[in-house]
Amino acid sequence: MQLDVNGKTLEVNVEPDMPILWLLRDVLHLTGTKFGCGIAACGACTVQLDGQAIRSCVVPVSAAEGKPITTIEALAKGGVPHPLQTAWIAEQVPQCGYCQSGMLMAAAALLENNQQPSDADIGTAMTNICRCGSYQRVRAAIHRAALAMHGSAT
Amino acid sequence: MRRRTWILSALGATGALVVGWGILPPRSRLGAPETMLPTAGDVALNGWIKIAQDGSVVLAMPRSEMGQGVHTGLAMLVAEQLDAPLGLVRLEQARDDKIYGNVSMLVASLPFHPLESEGGVKPAKVRLGEWMVGKIARELGINATGGSSSLADAWDVVPVAAAAARAALLGSAAQQWQLPVAELTIQDGRVQHASGKSAHFGELVAGASHSPAKAVLKERKDWRLIGQSAPRMDVPAKVDGTARFGIDVRLPDMLFAAVRMCPMLGGTVATLDDKAALALPGVKKRVSLDAVAGSTAGFAVVAQTSWHARTAVQAVQVQWQQRKDGALDSQRIQQTLLETLKTDKGFTFYEKGDAAAAEAGAARVVEASYSAPYLAHATMEPMNCTAQFKDGKLEVWAPTQVPGFARAVAAKVAGVDVERVTLHVTYLGGGFGRRLDIDFVAQAVRVAMACDGLPVQLLWSRVEDTTHDFYRPLHVAQLRAAVDAKGQVSSLRIHSAGDAITPRWMERGLPALAGPIDTPDKTTAEGLFDLPYGFANQHMAHVATHSGVPVGFWRSVGHSHNAFFSESFVDELAFETKQDPLAFRQALLIDAPRYLAVLNLAAEKAAWGSALPAGHARGIALHESFGSIVAEVVEVSLQDGKPRVHRVVCAIDCGTVINPGLVQQQMEGAVVFGLTAALYGRIDIVDGVVQQRNFDSYPMLSLAQAPRVETWLIPSQRPPSGVGEPGVPPLAPAVANALFVLTGKRQRALPLQA
Repeated sequence: MQLDVNGKTLEVNVEPDMPILWLLRDVLHLTGTKFGCGIAACGACTVQLDGQAIRSCVVPVSAAEGKPITTIEALAKGGVPHPLQTAWIAEQVPQCGYCQSGMLMAAAALLENNQQPSDADIGTAMTNICRCGSYQRVRAAIHRAALAMHGSAT
Repeated sequence: MRRRTWILSALGATGALVVGWGILPPRSRLGAPETMLPTAGDVALNGWIKIAQDGSVVLAMPRSEMGQGVHTGLAMLVAEQLDAPLGLVRLEQARDDKIYGNVSMLVASLPFHPLESEGGVKPAKVRLGEWMVGKIARELGINATGGSSSLADAWDVVPVAAAAARAALLGSAAQQWQLPVAELTIQDGRVQHASGKSAHFGELVAGASHSPAKAVLKERKDWRLIGQSAPRMDVPAKVDGTARFGIDVRLPDMLFAAVRMCPMLGGTVATLDDKAALALPGVKKRVSLDAVAGSTAGFAVVAQTSWHARTAVQAVQVQWQQRKDGALDSQRIQQTLLETLKTDKGFTFYEKGDAAAAEAGAARVVEASYSAPYLAHATMEPMNCTAQFKDGKLEVWAPTQVPGFARAVAAKVAGVDVERVTLHVTYLGGGFGRRLDIDFVAQAVRVAMACDGLPVQLLWSRVEDTTHDFYRPLHVAQLRAAVDAKGQVSSLRIHSAGDAITPRWMERGLPALAGPIDTPDKTTAEGLFDLPYGFANQHMAHVATHSGVPVGFWRSVGHSHNAFFSESFVDELAFETKQDPLAFRQALLIDAPRYLAVLNLAAEKAAWGSALPAGHARGIALHESFGSIVAEVVEVSLQDGKPRVHRVVCAIDCGTVINPGLVQQQMEGAVVFGLTAALYGRIDIVDGVVQQRNFDSYPMLSLAQAPRVETWLIPSQRPPSGVGEPGVPPLAPAVANALFVLTGKRQRALPLQA
């Protein structure tokens, strides 16, 4: 099977029903994407498939044929951090950090679709679980990144 | 029990005396340079500090980073004393040595009332107890990250180690340049002289003495880093996916294992058929897992990826068998605890005046029964561990809060001397006390022993993680207060019951020191016997039970449920005596000025008493834990019949603040953690089986429901005290107290209903 992972075309030899999460982690050793629940409930495994945030623990590899997969390892482009990563550092978002790859990938997809999300938009889009309670900093960092990327709406 | 016996047993280590009474003064924790890992080009100056050739400072890091920011906090202590930028400090995992033991955590297990130590000089019995336990703790050298104690413990040794390094480097420069030490300064990690001479630490370390004559700590007024919100050192790696957690260890030819344990806690495998499972693609083998370090028996399947292993482990046909002593059942356990309260007076942790007499002479007695359920930790990173046994040597990679225990259990399972075990501590994807246990380490080693020298990563599913935790124990409490003819509360009596934690943990982690009988366990009574309020008559007793349910330390431990009992009941008393909950507490804190200051700060910042939107109400709670005092004021409404918390104002006195940003972060985290438990948290055990299995049945607070959290710090010159846990206990009672205002209904069981 041919897959596009982080801009590289790869030939992978795995069962088509293997969830993308395990292909990334255990076959390609891209360990930035995390396992949390296995039932798409926590979002730790969030990556982008064709620009949309997906929970890779329940999406089979076969669904990725012909569609690019982007993981946290490729969120920065050409060595330049994504504005969300810069905002995440400025707001000192992570604590244990385990859920943060998923948070960032979900936030990146949100900002692709919504340049100036409101608190309510963020609440609806960001359903990832953080056990350390980084939520209010996630919210602040998304606003900060939105401002950096698109300027003020008003 | 006589108090002297009690002090020793408070360690949960009646057998602590077997280690003997060596002479080990506190300064010996500085350690010899050879204690540090030898690395080419680096020169160690003591057991904590090495200087690298490029002038950077290497700190031996014994504590585990699980989100609390301890790596940054300890590095700040070093950078401060050496006048080096924080970025110049690198971390290296500390080796297994007694100097890295957490002394403060064990000393904090002494069941003294905190008010006794509020004054300038601690009473003799407190000093004696702390001296004794400190001595035992230094002998044991248990390296644990827990009890919100890391900074408090490091405070006595890490700055001294860094100051000793500073003196050595200055001495070396003075000798090299033939100048008086007094004329030298350090700026930005360089030793300098007015003449223009300047050198980085790496250029001076060769001539540095390992035992400088005089190490002087910087004066508080000269601090430039402590007290600043320095950015966390671990954040960059946590935003680009490179931070390595236990689950991220990758080694050549690595195999992956999935686990299934008997769903009935304490049960076993009766029969199984693994033919179909072993025939699945990518599957290597099945390994039986006996009950070890507190785990329930089961098996693991090893395969070429976690997915293959997870699929195959479910394909094993298995008949499980209930434990010998009969099925555990949480409802039945709760009934038993309530019966126990009728017959067992328990151990009296605190007594003042005569509460029984006050009740006998009271105009009326207010009584209430409270309860709190079992809770799971639900760290985001499920339990996992990687191990490789090759050529008689064992290498283990573990996200653990207790590296020494982990290494010991690994050696025991492998049947090798502990010196043959190398243990690497990774980042922890959450700890909250769950990773003070080592069951998953023992399992990984067992599986690695069957993998012919190949490394294997053992990873639990979320279901195994939720159904095979070491749970916060279920607790019940009866509270009584006497109200006299003038309407004043004259006594408070608390009688509670629930499983002891420390003796069980000792059995699992340090079996050699587990006592033959359970001794009073402070960790389950804390938060009940140590209240700051000046009720004239008090009596607090706890009955420690042993139900058989695996129980463990859950963020803020006994305080987590006991604060709900005590601070809800104190609120009840305010309403019973027709007083404002804030004013009622203030009046009872005349002799506890630090507590009063924290309470007042939270109330002021939350504008207690000011108007709120219709349908909103405030609740307040105050609680001391891990040496720190926290007050929280919450603003709550009902949305669709469910409690909705909008805002939480926190005030904390945690002694000297090392990094205010980290304190803020921990308070925000504690609020979310506490609110999740208050609104949703319950583990039910039916026929031995934990009913909650994944985040769908054991839900977590989401971003959309997260309140706005504000944190206010009390300036203090006291030594640093706990930060990771103290924000949790006041949250549940504060919300319950607000809900009472909204609904007129007092809720005495967790989780809270609408």
